[in-house]
Amino acid sequence: MSRGAVIAGVGHSEFGRLPGLTPWQLETTAARAAVADAGLEPGDVDGLLTDPGPAQGILDGITPHFLRLGAQLGLDPDYAGSEILGGAGSVGIVGRAVLAVEAGLCSACLCAYGDSPLSQPAAFGYGRGDDAVFGFFGAVGMHALAARRHAHNYGTRPEQLGEVVLAARAHAALTPHALKRELLSMDDYLASKPVAEPLRALDCCMVSDGAAAVLVLSAERAARLERSTVRVLSQAQAHSLQTMGNGTHFDQLPAARSAPRLFERAGLEPSDVDLALLYDCFSIVLLMQLEDYGFCARGEAGSFVENGGIAPGGRLPVNTSGGLLAECYGGGMMHVIEAVRQLRGEAGERQVADASVALVSGHGLGMNTHTGLLLGADR
Amino acid sequence: MEEKAATKTAHPAPADDQLTASFWEACQHGSLMMTHCRDCGHYFLPPGPCCPRCWSSYIDQHAASGRGQVVTYTVYRHGYHPAIPPPYVVAVIELDEGPRMVSNVTGLDPDAVRTGMRVQLVFEQAGDRKIPRFEPTIGGTTGTSEASTGKKT
Repeated sequence: MSRGAVIAGVGHSEFGRLPGLTPWQLETTAARAAVADAGLEPGDVDGLLTDPGPAQGILDGITPHFLRLGAQLGLDPDYAGSEILGGAGSVGIVGRAVLAVEAGLCSACLCAYGDSPLSQPAAFGYGRGDDAVFGFFGAVGMHALAARRHAHNYGTRPEQLGEVVLAARAHAALTPHALKRELLSMDDYLASKPVAEPLRALDCCMVSDGAAAVLVLSAERAARLERSTVRVLSQAQAHSLQTMGNGTHFDQLPAARSAPRLFERAGLEPSDVDLALLYDCFSIVLLMQLEDYGFCARGEAGSFVENGGIAPGGRLPVNTSGGLLAECYGGGMMHVIEAVRQLRGEAGERQVADASVALVSGHGLGMNTHTGLLLGADR
Repeated sequence: MEEKAATKTAHPAPADDQLTASFWEACQHGSLMMTHCRDCGHYFLPPGPCCPRCWSSYIDQHAASGRGQVVTYTVYRHGYHPAIPPPYVVAVIELDEGPRMVSNVTGLDPDAVRTGMRVQLVFEQAGDRKIPRFEPTIGGTTGTSEASTGKKT
């Protein structure tokens, strides 16, 4: 019999421009909140996995991030590590924690994301390798190439990308801690300045300082808690590491390969999903995932999101707290946290009625990595 | 990016990378070199120590014809570097021999670039470097291969 693992606690710092707060202050705040949320004590934690954001990075000299954070949290855990999968990292470490707990390597694994890109010197407009020679800067350029492909292949219109951004704002308006809570009109969206066509400034996610943490606990220990927990139904990853060597790299995400496995492992279909928390660094990525995960046929994501398809009350509510486009940049861990809150029925005004299955995805490093989790309510 | 202040306004140079040094050296002499697997015949970019298809290390370098087509592209309207003012076109080019590479499409209005457009290699001087870019093929037509149909497997 599987030992089983659940998500027992979630917590986060405030998000925004937080000068004077180090990533360590933010991450320890999130860790304290997640452990308290589970009704546990710091001494109960015996695993630590971290997803440091790109501004602070995984290494300081030869000292890895988990070692620095673990020292500050006074941990001598039975299992530890840091993961670099870009925006797929937070979902990735939650999945890895589940494997570790199920294997019996540890029983209470803290998973932490944190970064302060707005308040510490770091270059976000990166050009990897020789990309800078061609002016190929920023993650926005890579995603613009995919957006152009989508428009070429399927006739996807700017207004359909805009629907993604409008929906994110509509969700954020119902989310007290979201940073961009004002509703957006399509005219506002279309007036947004182009960055790398067809993507506009409003197609790009926020950049935020902040930290978020999740506690993965063995089912055995969770049975002794009073708190309701969330079940991890399945996980799957797929990556496209060749970039230019992969002929479909700009036409579909690696999620096209991981999604069928994710559903099969849980014994579920896309139609079983009540809400989806899809990594949304750029609007186009959300559209592509709707197709990759089989919520609509390939090429039909544009029409799927029209008429509020993914907005509050839509046929598939997506990113119900506003996501990276309107809640905050939470590394993907805030997507996990929102799924947990919805599945525990604690999402307040934005609660999706009878939410029992949630999909959470992570996507990163340009378009090279993808991670997914299916989570289920404990009832 | 850890650029020194004195070089901030200079055109970005290729990364100091042992794997790609020979590629950029050939560019200085006006050749776009693809890596070729002598075991399975695969052509690939960027250069690497073995064939990414069959893992053979029995490889050599071949000059590309310089003909290809635009798989996808974006027009940068926002500038990221003082030496590369917008608007400019960044594109994925599929060479007729198969490999894909990131480059620029030059020699026309950025708004006139199209997916599937036939292009031809040109070298443009940037500082002391020759940069491989592409311009529309004279009399060229829109391609009909996998680059424009997305059917490549």
